[in-house]
Amino acid sequence: MFAYILRRLLMLIPVLFGISVFIFLIMKMIPGDVVSTILGTEATDEARSQLEKQFGLNLPIYQQYLQWMGGVLTGDFGVSLRTGKPILGDIISRFGLTLELTLLSAFISWIIAIPLGIVAALKRNTSTDFGVRIISLLGVSVPNFALATLLLLVLSLAFSYYPPAGYVSLFEEPMKNLQMMVLPAFVLGTAMAGAVMRMTRSSILEVLRQDFIRTIRAKGASERIVIFNHALKNAMIPILTIIGMQIGTLLGGTVIIEQIFSLPGLGQMVLTAINQRDYPVVQGAVLFIATVFVLINLFVDVLYSYLDPRITYK
Amino acid sequence: MAPILQIKDLQIDVKMDEEVLNVVKNINLEIGKREIYGIVGESGSGKSLTSLAIMGLLASPPLQVSKGEIFFEEDKDLLKLSSRELRKIRGNKISMIFQEPMSALDPLFTIEDQLMESLKFHTKLSKKEMKRACVKIIEKVGIPRPEQIMKEYPHQLSGGMRQRIMIAIAMLCNPKLLIADEPTTALDVTIQAQILDLMKELRDDFETSILMITHDLGVIAETCQRVAVMYAGEIVEETDVVSLFHRPKHPYTKGLLKSMVGDRSDALYSIPGKVPSVEQMPKGCRFVTRCPEAMDICEKVSPDDLEVADNHRCKCWLYQKEMANHV
Repeated sequence: MFAYILRRLLMLIPVLFGISVFIFLIMKMIPGDVVSTILGTEATDEARSQLEKQFGLNLPIYQQYLQWMGGVLTGDFGVSLRTGKPILGDIISRFGLTLELTLLSAFISWIIAIPLGIVAALKRNTSTDFGVRIISLLGVSVPNFALATLLLLVLSLAFSYYPPAGYVSLFEEPMKNLQMMVLPAFVLGTAMAGAVMRMTRSSILEVLRQDFIRTIRAKGASERIVIFNHALKNAMIPILTIIGMQIGTLLGGTVIIEQIFSLPGLGQMVLTAINQRDYPVVQGAVLFIATVFVLINLFVDVLYSYLDPRITYK
Repeated sequence: MAPILQIKDLQIDVKMDEEVLNVVKNINLEIGKREIYGIVGESGSGKSLTSLAIMGLLASPPLQVSKGEIFFEEDKDLLKLSSRELRKIRGNKISMIFQEPMSALDPLFTIEDQLMESLKFHTKLSKKEMKRACVKIIEKVGIPRPEQIMKEYPHQLSGGMRQRIMIAIAMLCNPKLLIADEPTTALDVTIQAQILDLMKELRDDFETSILMITHDLGVIAETCQRVAVMYAGEIVEETDVVSLFHRPKHPYTKGLLKSMVGDRSDALYSIPGKVPSVEQMPKGCRFVTRCPEAMDICEKVSPDDLEVADNHRCKCWLYQKEMANHV
């Protein structure tokens, strides 16, 4: 198992290399550059070339890449071309917010989706099941931004409730922070819940059809034991797969939700950086997000083998 | 001697959309103490449904017991028990093993977990005592190194081993009745013989009655004292094993015996046609569509279950003396 994890980590290297080259080239190919966004279109050639020299943009492209990569490998992601602040520190502090939002959303999603999914499976083809399936369809198909805006509107117009403004971290003012996070987490959580609910329902149904469930009943087990000790555990693998992918995606930042609720998360950071052609910030953030995504996938794979003894990695 | 299990007039129906169709009908049988009672029949004859009905494990809906009584240990009608009372009997006084040992154990739990589970449901033993009981029963079913096996998962064991584990789970609480639904069908022939020997041995040691459900007349010949032959949801013939093989009465039984692999060199006989589906069940005798000796009356009226010889019942017009009256 340990060797397997090590090998998976080593595989990160080519993946990240590929991503870094790709994102570097993409950033070079999009029209517009950081110099003209800073100086405007009226700038003199002299001023332009001076700034280009300062940022190292006058060098051949491969040298620019090597210079940046060399920095990244020694842990130096460089500084933002706009603010001059070190990039890595910025990523990490924003990642804190994104991580909190993700975990909160995932938690909300599970407490809605898994119980409802089980109930729908046990009462399949009844009105309960039908209701749950409609809820899950709504969760999947109502766009986040619509639900978010609606929620804010309803809360403010009907209940005169406004979430607090001005982001504070969980460690500074936990109550205020949670008040800010709960709405966006709810919006993201319901969207995740739709898919998890469907998967839980079908996965539980699938397991309940299997022979060993009959054996457990024949042993004299109550339905509660059949469902919670055996069926749910066996149904968990496909559910975990979905949850893992959802979490991986959310950890990359959620641009729209962050914008609507004015949360300074990773998504917002990347979006601003792209608009400003702040190359090192975009490159650094994308590399970071890719690493997190791969690590989450690895974690889920390891979790599989913990859950199911038939899955072993060599 | 009082029978351990007595089924009276059991009927099972299946509810399909608006229609209610009959799948099992007029089941009457008695299993004595320490007896191995066989039910033999093709797939679809309702033998598994009958056994699941005893366990209270019919998938309901759509299946339901619509009539009859199942007396266990004389006084208890299993069909009238609450699900809670039934759970106390299930896996305890009546236990069951299934056809597919490969899929009958939960793949995510160790053998130990799955054995202990039964004991947790039905006994108040301490953990240590439970473990000791598990080791003992594993040895009893002929598996060496019980401590090591208990730590393993089902996928690490062979089919024969898993079936032994299934038997171990079934025997843990010392049941009065063991229902074995095609226990050897999925195993290869040498393992089959071992498993059957094991079951006979356990019957002697634990004084357990066994209901052996199979499509294999060989298994019946090797283990059973009494046999019921089922066809399309009905018992067509019921007698002791010697009479069945030497003096079969029902044309279906005769057909089954003829289609056994023997030492003859000529082509193997097979009963023409197949079991009618529940929607197309004949009105009279259910075997009429395939019977080589079918008569006019067979199509119209279902024959009665008659005692045609000592301890030998058969449901066929050939033996019905009142035949003339009906026509």
